[in-house]
Amino acid sequence: MLNVKEMLEELKASPYEEIEVVTPHTGVIQFVGLKAGDRVAGPGGKWNEKPGSVLATLTREKNKKNICATQKGVVTDIAADLEGQFVEAGVRLLTIRHFLSKDEVIARILKKALYLFCAPERAKYYFVPEIDGKIKAGGEQSVKPRDGMEMFIVSRMKRETPLAYSGPEGIIYAVYFQQGDNVDGGQPLIGVCQESQLTLIQDVVNRVQGEWEEQD
Amino acid sequence: MPQHKILIANRGEIAMRILSACVRLGHGFVCVYTEADAASGHVRLAREQGGEGSLRRIRSYQDASEIFAVADATNATAVHPGYGFFAEDFRFARRAETRDRPLVFIGPSWGVIRDLGDKINTKRIARSLGVPTIPGSDRPIFDEMEAVELALTIFAFQREQGIAEGCVLVKASAGGGGMGIEEVYDLDAFRSAYRRIRNYAKRNLSDEGVLIEQRIFDFNHLEVQVAGERGGKNAVHFGTRNCSVQSLGRQKRIEVAPGFDAASIEYAFDAGRVLDAITSHSVNMALAVGYDNVGTWEWIVTPKGEPFLMEVNTRIQVENGVSGVISRLRGADRGEARVDIIAEQLRLGLGEPLGYTQADVSFSGVGIEYRVIAEDPSNRFTPCLGRIERFSWRPEPWLAVSTQVPTAVTGEPYDIPMDYDPNLALAIIWGADLREARARGEAFLDGLVLEGADASGAPLATNVAFLRARTQTLLHF
Repeated sequence: MLNVKEMLEELKASPYEEIEVVTPHTGVIQFVGLKAGDRVAGPGGKWNEKPGSVLATLTREKNKKNICATQKGVVTDIAADLEGQFVEAGVRLLTIRHFLSKDEVIARILKKALYLFCAPERAKYYFVPEIDGKIKAGGEQSVKPRDGMEMFIVSRMKRETPLAYSGPEGIIYAVYFQQGDNVDGGQPLIGVCQESQLTLIQDVVNRVQGEWEEQD
Repeated sequence: MPQHKILIANRGEIAMRILSACVRLGHGFVCVYTEADAASGHVRLAREQGGEGSLRRIRSYQDASEIFAVADATNATAVHPGYGFFAEDFRFARRAETRDRPLVFIGPSWGVIRDLGDKINTKRIARSLGVPTIPGSDRPIFDEMEAVELALTIFAFQREQGIAEGCVLVKASAGGGGMGIEEVYDLDAFRSAYRRIRNYAKRNLSDEGVLIEQRIFDFNHLEVQVAGERGGKNAVHFGTRNCSVQSLGRQKRIEVAPGFDAASIEYAFDAGRVLDAITSHSVNMALAVGYDNVGTWEWIVTPKGEPFLMEVNTRIQVENGVSGVISRLRGADRGEARVDIIAEQLRLGLGEPLGYTQADVSFSGVGIEYRVIAEDPSNRFTPCLGRIERFSWRPEPWLAVSTQVPTAVTGEPYDIPMDYDPNLALAIIWGADLREARARGEAFLDGLVLEGADASGAPLATNVAFLRARTQTLLHF
């Protein structure tokens, strides 16, 4: 049985996550004058269409690209020695300490309550075109997975194979992967909510709304 | 010849072979690698041969801007795409040549890649030159109804020919290397295969075009290795190779050069005449289109000895070494030497003339290339992920093994990256004749130690036993 209270206490003891910002690709890096302790904003707008605060710029083949904060938080530990340097892909630029919002706390707790359908092996995963279309048109909760339903395409070593869902019937409550990104074996792909769980989910939402204090 | 600095825009064993050719020819080099490839042999070799300054980590081998940014940051003057990735991407080749800071693209000029990169256009050019091609569509099919009608016509034609179980191939027009291709035996399977291939092609190749062709059974898959100089006025071939031993996904596993061996095997047709026909068709077509680097003309030959051109690969191929090992070049300054096709590709790509004619090229013995792969041949050649713990073989003067697996050199365990093909090594064997080449091939496989565990801890599956079993039937129909 899920102990929501205990989980909330655990999260309150460490109410943030450290996000390392790394270069997405090669290029010449220019910071924008941030210093440790500065606050930055995450993406905004109805669909997160407004990018977060600019942290640095990366210039590659005359194209300047902003590197923006993916979450709001406080900047710590800037790699200032990289200023003006040509850097490789995956180089750490700075760290953002991000304090968890109510929605994030709810998502973390629900991850323990939902039925998680996990990646059977490390691979890239995609939804099959029919499911993908449905999600784009009606959202994740418009898809009702049932046992044996062909839902995913597994792509590894340039070979693609279909993957059927196995588990209880319900609705997709959360999608935990980005299409085309590598997912390790055992990591959840989707969280499925069964009808019988709706009360529990409401309870989690109520408790978090009442007890969690957002720090920024 | 001016010295160049060549950016090797590839990974694994082909990056290692290009790097070695650069060093032999006295050119500088820069290697790129991704996070998943940090332990790969090509990274180790680059570090050994050129130090840390010759290495740059990039986001992806498939990001052209990454390649060009590294070329600029390291003052590279040329880019070698290897095979796969950008090797047959005419836009990449055009961008390399036409940017503010141009780079020499080591491959055919972009117009040639564009014209021959599309299987359908190749078919049209071939037909216009009187080169025989496989029956089927001569343009990409985007409409499912039209595809179904074409499949029905092919099934009907096969029934008329007395073929009990007709079969149609559905291929991504822009695909290659055995990817994006399926064979189907009935109309229901055809419809879903057509949709699958179209989706695959859209996602991976950005081109939804699908080809529908008659599947020809019991064929031999032959290739002609062609080399042409810049300007496309002179071209030669380095013989033929037989690539008929393939996985179910139609990816090659063993290649043999030459393509047929009439001295050892009795054929129902004049094998020498077929080889002459496909080599002369290939070179003539290369000259007709102004082909100006190395490339491969791929053929299928039926049991009756009828050749059909399948496609042209406008790049270096994995199996170039097996043609090189049997090819000899005569010349006043070089005596008689084996041909390093990658070095020839670099030389020609950088604008040197061929410097020889077909009369200077001769052939000696039989070459066999084994692709050693972590896969399970008994389970539809499913790739196997895992860790290699032991990898060694007995060195022989007739054997050359290329591998990116560092275990073979350092003894350190190596985790096979999942992002790429599970190819572990290429082994090229030379023998004075087919009998000797087979015996040496078997001796190599018998002495090969390749051990490790898959993700579940079970012994790592490899195709070594499959290669061993198929060695005795090489070059037979």
